[in-house]
Amino acid sequence: MEPLIALGRFGLFSAAVWWRIVTPRWEVQETLRQTWGVSIRCLLPVAATVFPFGMVMSLQGLQIFDLFGAQRLLSSLVSVAVFRELSPVMATALVAAQGGSSFAAELGAMRIKEEIDATTVMAIDPIRVHVVPRVIAALVATPVLGLIGSASGIAGGYVTAVWLKGEPAGTWWANLWALTQLSDVLGGAVKCLVFGAIIGFVSCYNGYNASGGAAGVGRAVNDTVVTATTSAVVANYFLTTVLFGSVG
Amino acid sequence: MTASFFDFIAAVAVALLTRRPPLLASLEESYRIGVKSLPILLVISTFAGTNLAVQGHDAFAPLGGQHLVGMFVALAGVREMAPLLVAAMVAAKAGTEMASQIAVMRIRQQIDALEVMAIDPHWLLVVPRLLGIVLVLPALTMISIFVFLAAAWAVAVAQLGLNGHAFLALATDVTEPKDLLACAIKALCFGVVICVASCFHGFSSRPGPDGVGRATNAAVVTSAVLCAAVNYVLSELLYG
Repeated sequence: MEPLIALGRFGLFSAAVWWRIVTPRWEVQETLRQTWGVSIRCLLPVAATVFPFGMVMSLQGLQIFDLFGAQRLLSSLVSVAVFRELSPVMATALVAAQGGSSFAAELGAMRIKEEIDATTVMAIDPIRVHVVPRVIAALVATPVLGLIGSASGIAGGYVTAVWLKGEPAGTWWANLWALTQLSDVLGGAVKCLVFGAIIGFVSCYNGYNASGGAAGVGRAVNDTVVTATTSAVVANYFLTTVLFGSVG
Repeated sequence: MTASFFDFIAAVAVALLTRRPPLLASLEESYRIGVKSLPILLVISTFAGTNLAVQGHDAFAPLGGQHLVGMFVALAGVREMAPLLVAAMVAAKAGTEMASQIAVMRIRQQIDALEVMAIDPHWLLVVPRLLGIVLVLPALTMISIFVFLAAAWAVAVAQLGLNGHAFLALATDVTEPKDLLACAIKALCFGVVICVASCFHGFSSRPGPDGVGRATNAAVVTSAVLCAAVNYVLSELLYG
């Protein structure tokens, strides 16, 4: 029963947050501040993680294409894989790890220090002031970071293919967009948007309901990273099937 | 920050090499890490496998190469995806837990108390976790590979309507024992990276609930970034 009860609580919490997202008044200043903050904090981790993934894609792809003598397709492969899968998933994992966990830590610390109760006592809606800006920040920042991650991944692939393995640079740039279409880029962005929503709601739910002192905050952060990443990977399969999959 | 990181590594190495390793505690840690991470690992591996099969089909079908999906899934899954997925999930689950446990001990001054009692906290707290994660991560990776391929096969047959026998034949054709060994080596290295990064952030936690939260946060980010970078180096060495 326990997981079902938790799911129900999460649903009620999400509904409460959605209601405050669609009704005024909006905390515009705070939302902008959170969005900017989370984007800046996650920028380096996302770029630094997707970059080596692009390098590995190039490395392994080159081995396979060498068999067929089709090295020229390498950049097409890397760009499709990066835009559709690697960058959305890795950006999400890193935004969950960096941004989501810091949301959970901040809200958890506020809950433990009874700042959230203090806000309620002052007749200020804590969800409107503390939660909604963070959820919107995750929603906005994840697609942007996903695109930045894509650029970084393609740069990583370029470094391996051209600088380390000596493939011609002209071929790389010429074939980069051969198989990639606008729908791939948009599909990746849609994925990021869904994952961003998952991160925002999960992290704020865990932080907002933290209990049990400093250890409780640690637990909330832990749960956030695990739940958000797992849900994103599960959602990814269904999104891939809907966006790109040709069934049957 | 970097200087204290290397100090920390040196202290752990000294504790690991000069003292008798705490075997029983290491086994307990590996049991805890393995059993706690297994359920999410199964879920993640399943859906990563299904996803890769759909993507592979979508990539190869226009060229008329649907039957190559088995090869694609086996190569990508065994060589790259499975070790990294396991590392990412263990970093998210066990790594964050290490960081927050040790951070709580730090802010309650239990680590200082250990030092006062002349017990090396690196030996008591880090070495068992290190041995435990190194012991269990390759095993988790093998389980993940199996689940990954099984899920991909199920999707290939049920959703994409491919020939299951051809899938399995190609998949077994391209994976060699050497690939599994390489996987295990990768898993070992990721285990060391995750444990050292997480325990380091736990040890250097600032006081208060925000300190614990921030240490946990930094632990998982550092682990992920370092694992991705180490993965490239290992791929280059093992397959390059």
